[in-house]
Order: sequence, then structure tokens, then C-alpha cells
Amino acid sequence: MAAACSDGASGSSADPEGAETARPDLRGTVLEPSWEKPDVTLTDTEGRPFAFRAETDGIVTLLFFGYTHCPDVCPVHMGNIAAVLRDLPYAVRERIRVVFVTTDPERDTPARMRNWLDRFDRSFVGLSGTEAEVGAFQAALRLPAAVRQPTRPGPLPGAYAVGHAAQVIAFTADNRARVVYPFGTRQADWAHDLPRLVEADPWPSEGSPEPRER
Amino acid sequence: MQWWCSAQGLAWSWTWRPYLGVWVMVAILVAAYVGLARRSGGAPPSRAGSFAAAVACLWVALDWPVGALAAGYLASVHMVQFLLVALIAPPLLLYSIPVGAWQRLASHRRLVRVLRTATRPLVASVVFNVLVWLTHWPRIVDGLMGYQAGSFLIDMLWIAAGLVFWWPVVAPVPARPRFGYPFKVAYLIFATVANTGVFIYLTFTHLPVYATYELAPPIPWITAREDQQVAGLLMKMGGGVVLWTAIGVLFVRWFRAEQA
Repeated sequence: MAAACSDGASGSSADPEGAETARPDLRGTVLEPSWEKPDVTLTDTEGRPFAFRAETDGIVTLLFFGYTHCPDVCPVHMGNIAAVLRDLPYAVRERIRVVFVTTDPERDTPARMRNWLDRFDRSFVGLSGTEAEVGAFQAALRLPAAVRQPTRPGPLPGAYAVGHAAQVIAFTADNRARVVYPFGTRQADWAHDLPRLVEADPWPSEGSPEPRER
Repeated sequence: MQWWCSAQGLAWSWTWRPYLGVWVMVAILVAAYVGLARRSGGAPPSRAGSFAAAVACLWVALDWPVGALAAGYLASVHMVQFLLVALIAPPLLLYSIPVGAWQRLASHRRLVRVLRTATRPLVASVVFNVLVWLTHWPRIVDGLMGYQAGSFLIDMLWIAAGLVFWWPVVAPVPARPRFGYPFKVAYLIFATVANTGVFIYLTFTHLPVYATYELAPPIPWITAREDQQVAGLLMKMGGGVVLWTAIGVLFVRWFRAEQA
């Protein structure tokens, strides 16, 4: 994977018509080359099939794999994204969709997932699938498969944690995975990048010069 | 096992955890006070009670659960800790020192000379406010709170800043006959204004300023932004309550002195 951190960087490239198109100055890790958005169908919290590529076509999509019993990474990511989305103008906000895929289908029932996501934002999409379907989805995005990890003996018998990728993957409107946001991404980073991801439509052609260091 | 509370990045648990460093600090304080009181011919109940209250403040603020929540989970609890450690415990500690001990201190000329400079009201006010700003500066908080030694350093700086700040108001040595009640009241009123900058910064900055608390395993009933706003309000209102209470006490004493 060739990932280039574009923190504090900016640049420009020529679009197909020859006009200079500014490359967005992003704080996330820009993927070069970008990845294709997988064509995967999972089940949403209403029990309906959700064709990920078709349903999110043409809008910026933030994809995250996690689980609702997660004590740290998942609620922090979801909470920070939700807090920033609330501040964005409606015109920007309506062009962003957040999709959460559970890596713990055994405990994350549709109702539980819906309830958990609603604590952050009622528009967040919750998806579940079989272990094989979710595993294939993660593999298509070059993410490690989630693994169940026993927790120390506690008051809840059979309790376990799920080790999973901690990054949010951002797809631009052209159905390409362009930017990765690791755990540690802050609200200031989201507030900086999300409007730029929406504005970067079309995304400047790939292979353009590396953004200059500021 | 940790000796001092620091940000650990672990999900919050109400399971008790010991912090030996806090216990050792409390034990040293108690031993020192008992020795001081013995050498000074004993401490009257009001001063001994003040000492007990000061130690209780420090113990509550620095040990589990307040210390742990303050170090790694909630900026608002961090602010409660600041109020207890820097604004409430120090005047109680200074007041608790027996008269005999102050008299002995007054006989150390070189030390008194140093104290006269270090605790001059203007110097004390500047030192206190600079330390308050520094210890609430996001880069410093985020850089230190993840380490026990860093968290310990912030707590000790708060105690030191609080002692310096309250010294001109509470301590009888060095004697400052010109720094009477009107000036003490003015000094404290200025302090109620001086913390406004941190209050405004925390309360009205739209995005969370501390990564430590923004990225901490969440506590369910409060968001990072709300937590930060509560912290700012606590600094202003909690600090205001402490300072205006002290101002009230000074007014009563001033009135009594005038009556006598």
C-alpha cells in the first residue's frame, strides 16, 4: 500500500480539461493510488439489503468497522465524527454518509446497533453480515480481519473484546477510497477535512505531483 | 500498579485502584505536621482541623477515583482537582501551621528574605497565573498527563502555585504591615478576574482542546465538548466561590479589627 501523509500540504494538478484543479489539503493519510469502493451487499439495521457501492454512490462516505461493546476506539470515532457533522452546513452534511459495519454480529443485533448509533447520529448507517461477508469486505479494503479476544475475568461471564482495524476509510464521491483516518483523529481534523472532501468533486487526477511541504 | 494517576487509555472502571504515591505524600504531610506541632508546643483545634481539611482535599483530589478521572477521562474532573489542589488546600495548609512554627520561621533571616521576594503579592499573583496558564495549555496537558511523572509534576506545580498565591493573604511571615485587609481583598478580587482567560478559552472554544480527554475512552453521560465547557465553568464559578468566600472572611476580620 502506498500511503502518503498530506498533513499540512497542498498542491495542484491539471484536470482532464487542462484547468488547474487544487488538490485538497487534508490532515488524513491520503491513499495513492486510491482504492476501488467494494461492491458488497450487507444488511442494515432495518433488515434490508444495503448495496454499499450503489447506496453510497456520489457522496462522501466514511466507513468504519467496529462493535458496539467497544469501550474506546469505536465510540470516540463515532462521537467525534457526529459532533463535527452537527456543525457543518446542511449542504455539506447531506453529502456525507457514515457507515458502521459490525465486527461482532453475535452481540450486535440490529436493534442494539441502531440504538447505539442513534446515540451519535440517527443518520449513521449500521450494517451487519456473516463473518465471511464482513471478512471479505475488510480484505477488499486491505484491512486485517477482526478477531475475538477474551477479556480478563470480570462480572460478565463470556465477555470478550474484538480486535479490529481502528481507522476510518473515506471514500470520495467518485467511489474511490482516498483517505484513511487512524485512531487519534480529532474533531479539529474532521472539521478541517470533511468540507474539503465534499468540495473535491471531481477529485484531481491521480499521478499529479506530490503536494508541496508548507 | 501505578504510583500516581495518569492517562492510561483504558476504559473507565469503578474498580478501586491504589496509588501508593498519594498515600506516601499524605503520610509525609501528616508526619511533618505532627513533628511541627510538637516542636511548636502543640496546635490548637482550629489549626489542626484546618490541616485535616487540607489533607482531606489533597487526598480526595489526587487519589482514586477523582485523580484517575482527572488524569485520563474528564477535563471537568481535572478542573475540580485543580480547585481542590491549588485553591482550597493551600490556604488551609498555611493556616494550619502553628504560631510557634511561624515564629521560628521568622527567626531565619535569610529564608525570610527569600520569602519576602517570592511571596510579594505582585510576584505571587504573576507566578500563580502563569503556572495556571501553563498547566492548562493543551500541549503541556497532553504531553504530561500520559505519564505518571508528568501528572505528578502538574499536581505539584498546582500545590506550589497555590501556596505562593495564598501566602501573602494567609501567612504572617514575612510581616507585610502595608499589605492590610483592603489590599488583600483587592488582591483576591483581581484573582477572580485573572482566571477569566482560561475560562473563556475552555468554555467558548468550539472544538475540544485537549487530546487527552477528547480521545479518552468515553464516559457515557457527557461528550468531550460538554466536558470542556463544564471545566471552563467550574474554573470560573468554582474558583469564584472559593475566592469570594475568602474575600468574605477577610471582610469579617477587617470589620472585627476595626471594631477592636
